[in-house]
Amino acid sequence: MPRKFIELSEKIEYLSILDENAKVDEALEPKLSGEQLKTIYRYMLLARRTDERLLLMQRQGRLGTFPQSSGHEAVSMGAAFAITADDWQVPAYRELPGMLYRGWSIDHFMLYWNGFEEGARVPDNVKDLPICVPIATQLLHAVGIGMGMNIRGEKNVVLTFFGDGASSEGDCHEALNFASVFSAPVVFVCLNNQYAISVPLSRQMHSETIAQRAVGYAMPGIRVDGNDVLAVYVATKEAVERARSGGGPTLVEGLTYRLTPHTTADDPKRYRSDEEYQLWLSREPLKRFRRYLEKKGLLNDKDHERLEAELDSEIKQAMERTEAQIKAEDLKNPTSMFDHLYKDIPPTLQNQRDEFARYWESRHKASDKQNPQKSGARTD
Amino acid sequence: MSLEFRLPDLGEGIREAEILAVKINPGDKVKEDQAIFEVETDKAVVEIPSPFGGTVETVNVKVGEIVAVGTVLATFQPDSARAQPGKPAIEASAGPALQGQKKNTVEPASRRTATSVIEDGRQVAALPSTRRLARELGVDLRMVTGTGSGGRVLSEDVRAFATGPTSPARSKGGDLGGQAPVSLPDFSRFGKIERVALRSVRRKTAENMAVSWEQIPHVTHCDEANLTELEELRLKYEKKVKAQGGKLTLTAFVLKAVASALSRYLQFNASFDRAREEIILKHFFNIGVAVATERGLIVPVIRDVIKKSVSEVALELTQVIEKTKAGKVELDRLQGSTFTVTNVGAIGGTSMVPMINYPECAILGLAKAQPKPIVKDGKIAVGLIMPMALSFDHRIADGAEAAQFVLDIVKQLEDPGSFLLEA
Repeated sequence: MPRKFIELSEKIEYLSILDENAKVDEALEPKLSGEQLKTIYRYMLLARRTDERLLLMQRQGRLGTFPQSSGHEAVSMGAAFAITADDWQVPAYRELPGMLYRGWSIDHFMLYWNGFEEGARVPDNVKDLPICVPIATQLLHAVGIGMGMNIRGEKNVVLTFFGDGASSEGDCHEALNFASVFSAPVVFVCLNNQYAISVPLSRQMHSETIAQRAVGYAMPGIRVDGNDVLAVYVATKEAVERARSGGGPTLVEGLTYRLTPHTTADDPKRYRSDEEYQLWLSREPLKRFRRYLEKKGLLNDKDHERLEAELDSEIKQAMERTEAQIKAEDLKNPTSMFDHLYKDIPPTLQNQRDEFARYWESRHKASDKQNPQKSGARTD
Repeated sequence: MSLEFRLPDLGEGIREAEILAVKINPGDKVKEDQAIFEVETDKAVVEIPSPFGGTVETVNVKVGEIVAVGTVLATFQPDSARAQPGKPAIEASAGPALQGQKKNTVEPASRRTATSVIEDGRQVAALPSTRRLARELGVDLRMVTGTGSGGRVLSEDVRAFATGPTSPARSKGGDLGGQAPVSLPDFSRFGKIERVALRSVRRKTAENMAVSWEQIPHVTHCDEANLTELEELRLKYEKKVKAQGGKLTLTAFVLKAVASALSRYLQFNASFDRAREEIILKHFFNIGVAVATERGLIVPVIRDVIKKSVSEVALELTQVIEKTKAGKVELDRLQGSTFTVTNVGAIGGTSMVPMINYPECAILGLAKAQPKPIVKDGKIAVGLIMPMALSFDHRIADGAEAAQFVLDIVKQLEDPGSFLLEA
């Protein structure tokens, strides 16, 4: 009588459909057309190649510090493919494949990681928020959008992303709790790459999974093989359907691995062993999905070469365009960074803007005096 | 028009980097994205790909130099097709760090000579004129306690430091071990001198050895082993291991013997935790092997020696030493040793007193094994004798234990059959 078990409705599932040897579980395989599957692969590959190009650019001094996304393609793309253009996507900063798929250009990322806020300008007709570097804050924005849609009676869904490190932030709890209490149509996707920079999962949490936290918020939670784009797609799709039909939020955890440093300023050899890296490299998402497409007769080596050449040329063109744009006068003045956050700029920010504008002008005058013939060139 | 390639800010707010490798020479044709330099910042070792395709005109840096962000590393004559003025202006760029507002917080790169006073990432607040004065007087700014606002080092601080005795109250010390440095006389009064910057490996060795010497009460125990039988065995199987691409060295046997002995004498596979007043015994046996390289002394680690056979250890050792000498050893390989072996026998020496690789408990030094007269069954005979010396932390272990531990190793080496019984 006084002591008994409370029956909880939530159980934590694990889902894997396409394993690292490209073996597929046909009973669980989603019904996607050949064109859809090829589209998914195209954006995963485009993101991988772009990521590699961005790294070269950073090492050549053409780009600032940036966080790479290689290894996370399945979580990002599988989830993004499960929503429609009318749904919202609220990314963190490793969702390059999904963002490219949703309509962001490569140029955006080259500008953004060069420090130009123009890179954060959401393309027309794309219902995404920009990259969010502060950890876990985007989750609250996502819940806010979801609650707003409930008030307006809209039938859309919000897809948002965060990392395993973010799961320790207060914002993450607040977001999950509010989404649950107000039944906000939000799908939380955790890219669990097992390291918050150098902090391993074992120092981040004592529980087995991140997905099991869903129990505490009385929402469905599921862990999927985060290197299996089909599993991520299926789990997210189910969550999206549920949210759309009024079933509230879901927590989807994709277990994956970063194939790169945390950012270009990090050296993972100091905290991850080579054995571990090699193991996860053998599980990476692109290789198995490529083999899956090959087995289905949707892709052969020739097609792949052609696709790579096409994507590389796309990336190269973006690089040339962006560098020309950076050189152009209109990106040079950073004063515009004050203009985009508020519809009507508050007085404190206006003061900062004025002060900065004065500083900028005096700086230009000084450099013009020093270097009259170079006044049209790039600063410094 | 030739294009300049400047050292970019490879991390967040990196000020300088050490050149580890230069992969191009003047006259070389390079392709865009081809690796041209390897550099080490205080964050990571990174390869730098060329942003241009073209011909190398000049290479302005050498291996070992520490260069400031923004320094021109090389100049190129671009491929004619790429020389379009409409192309992105890399030649005018010094990487994002030198553009925009960031510049104001970074000391102008042009002020710093290519091999300026090493400040090793630690920012010392001082005016450029003060820095110049410090350079002229040979004063390391990090050693000077600044009396200006916010701890800024003033010119008068530098002068006082240069002339006055170095009192602990004034010097920060600590970087190269615990004690504050004592000021040196002006040697240049007696003849020509040269000042060599302490960098990377040399600096680390200096730090580690000073800490080891200051913190660990060292005792050294000496013994010798008759390797006559072991040498026969080694010669017999050398070819077999060679066929697998390895070198069956004496060191491989010693590592096995040491690991085995350590499992019986855990106090030598330990660390002294002064803060918690505890001894940490380690139940894994990772043996560091001191390797002399062009960059200095580096100690790669052979993990779980106890679980590996002699030939496995020999193969791994061969690869690791090769990699270490080539400067290609992974950082992962340099961590986690529980005991170190250093072998100067290849060069010579009849005995040595090795210094402990802090924070381990002990180190075994091997001198040259050579034929010597020994007494066998009451008669003089010739044996291959290797002198060895174990230095250990007297806080953790005592002399009698050390004698037993070394004897354990000696017995194994003198009776090579004993290796059969090991994993």
